[in-house]
Amino acid sequence: MIDGRAIWTRNAVPKHSQYGESLRRFKGIEYRRWDPNRSKLGAALTRARQTQYELLPEPGDTCLYLGAGHGTSLSHLHDHVCGESNREKGRIIAIDLSPRCLRDLIHMSKKRPGLVPVLGDARKHSAWGIMVANRVDWLLQDVSQAGQADIFISAVHRFLKPGGKGLLSLKAASERWSGEGERAVFDAVAEQLEQAGLTIVERIDLHGLEDNHCLYYITN
Amino acid sequence: MWLWYDWRAAAVADDAGNILDQEEWDGWGNTDEVCNRMDIIAHSAFTPEAERLLERFPDAQPRIHGDGELPNANWPLPSSEALSALDKAAKLLSKRGVDAAAGDPDRRLEHLSRASEELRASYVTLEGRLVEWVGLFLPEARFERDRAGLARKAAEANSLSDLAETLDVSMPEQGPSEKEWKALNDWAHSVGEIKTRLERMEDSIRELASSHLPSLSILLGPLLASRLCVEAHGRARLARLPAGTMQILGAEKAFFNHLKTGAPSPKHGHIFMHPWISRSPRWVRGKIARTIAAKATIAARCDEFGGEIWNEDNVRPIEERVETIRAENPQPPRR
Ligand SMILES: C[S@@+](CC[C@H](N)C(=O)[O-])C[C@H]1O[C@@H](n2cnc3c(N)ncnc32)[C@H](O)[C@@H]1O
Repeated sequence: MIDGRAIWTRNAVPKHSQYGESLRRFKGIEYRRWDPNRSKLGAALTRARQTQYELLPEPGDTCLYLGAGHGTSLSHLHDHVCGESNREKGRIIAIDLSPRCLRDLIHMSKKRPGLVPVLGDARKHSAWGIMVANRVDWLLQDVSQAGQADIFISAVHRFLKPGGKGLLSLKAASERWSGEGERAVFDAVAEQLEQAGLTIVERIDLHGLEDNHCLYYITN
Repeated sequence: MWLWYDWRAAAVADDAGNILDQEEWDGWGNTDEVCNRMDIIAHSAFTPEAERLLERFPDAQPRIHGDGELPNANWPLPSSEALSALDKAAKLLSKRGVDAAAGDPDRRLEHLSRASEELRASYVTLEGRLVEWVGLFLPEARFERDRAGLARKAAEANSLSDLAETLDVSMPEQGPSEKEWKALNDWAHSVGEIKTRLERMEDSIRELASSHLPSLSILLGPLLASRLCVEAHGRARLARLPAGTMQILGAEKAFFNHLKTGAPSPKHGHIFMHPWISRSPRWVRGKIARTIAAKATIAARCDEFGGEIWNEDNVRPIEERVETIRAENPQPPRR
C-alpha cells in the first residue's frame, strides 16, 4: 500500500514490529511502515520512476532471495507474498551465507510460514538448488561481495522463469573498480547484464537512501 | 536419452521429452530422511532412485532438476505436501548449520579475544588511576615493580594508614575522608576483580588456541596465535596468507598509510609482541620478524591442513636462527 511518500505492508505477524518500524491501523487492518533507509528494496520502491507498481512479486508467487541478511526487506516481502498464516500460499526461499543472519531468519520463519531460510552460498547452486523445485517468479539478489553481476546472471539463468522478474542490488564498492567512479561500474554492469541476454526494465539509482547502490530490474 | 532426478524422484526421457520410466520415493514424511537426501544432492551424488534408473538405462545422461540441458518433459515433480516436507527439512538443516557455527573455534576465539582486548583496555585505565590515586596520598610509595600487588594490598587494607603500613611508607598530613577512602578501596577491589576475570579469559583462550592452533601456539604462544587467527578472520584464511602479510597482520592501518603517503612500511604487526622480537635490538627486529612470520605461515598450514603437529623440536632450530641473527648484528648498521 502506498500512501503519499510512505510504503506500508499488511503485517503478517500482528502487533509485532520486526526491526523497530512503526505500525499503524487503517480500517481495522494493521500495517508496517517499510523504511526505505533500512531496506534497499524499500528504497527502490520509493525511487523507481516507471516501475513502482511492478517491482514486487504477486501475492502467492514463489520467490528466491539471495543474501537475505537479517531479514529487514524480507519481512515486508513476506507480508506481501505470503501474509498472515501464509493465506496467499506464497513461498520465499531465503539464502544467506552467515550463520549469524540465519539465526535471525530461522527465528523469523517460525512466525512467518511460507518463508524458508537456507544457510548457503549464493554461488553454490548444487548445495541448495534442489530447494527451488520449480523456477521462481521473482528473484532478488543483494549479496555484498565481489562478482555480484556474475552470481546474479547464473542464478537468473538457472532459477528464474522465462518472463520472470529479477532484481539485482549492486554495491559499487564491492566490485573491483578501476578508479573511474561508480557511474562507470554501474554502466559496465548494465552492459554485462544485457550481453547475458537479460532485458533491463529500469535501472534505479538509490543514491541518498543507500549510497553507492543501484538496483537493476530485469526480465529474461 | 536423459535421466532427470531431484531429491525424491527420478525419470528417464528421450530427447523429445517422452517419459520412458520413473521411480518415486514416498518416505518424505520423515524429516531426517529428507535431510539425508538433501545432503546427497549437495555432494553431487545420486539418490537411490536415480541409481536404480541408471542401472536400467546406462546410456541416459544424468542431470539434476533445473539443469538447462534437460528437454521439457512431464517430470514427476513433488506435490505441495512433499514440498512442505522439503521446506521443513531445509529449516532443520539451516538450524543444524547455525548450531555447528556455535562449535566453530574461529568464532569462539573471536569473541574471547575481542572481549579480553576490551577488558584489558579498561584494566589498564583503571589500574593507572589506582596508582596515581594512591600515589597522591602516599607520595613515598614506589610500586613500579609490583603494580598488580598494589590493587590487592589497597583492597585488603582497612584504612589509608593500614595501607601505608603494608607499603612501609609514612602517612601524609592530609588524608582522605572516610567516604573517600572507601571509594578508593572499592576502586582497588574492581581492579583486582577485573584482573582475575582477565586471567580466566586468557586461560580459556590458551586452552582453545592450543587445540585449534597447536603448532602455531607452540611457536608463538597461544595468545599471540589466537590474535593472528582472529585478525585474519579465521584459521582457513590465516593458513592461506603469504608470509609478508602474516608479518604485518594487525598493522593494516600503518600499511595503508604506507601505500597512501609513502610513509615507511610497517615491519611488524601483532607478531611484534613476540619476545624474540620485542626483546631484540631495534635494528634486527625487521629481520627476525621476517624469519618468524615465514615459520608461522608453515605452522598455520600444518594446523589447518592436518599436518604433523609441531613440538619443541620444531621450534628449537628457529630460536637458534634468531640467536644467530642477533649475534651477527651486534651493532646498529652505520649509515
Ligand atoms: C547487505 S546484506 C543484505 C541485506 C538484506 N538484503 C536487506 O535489505 O534486508 C548482504 C548479505 O549478503 C550475504 N552474503 C554475502 N556473500 C554471500 C554469498 N556468496 N552467498 C549468500 N549470501 C552472501 C551476507 O551474509 C549479508 O548478510
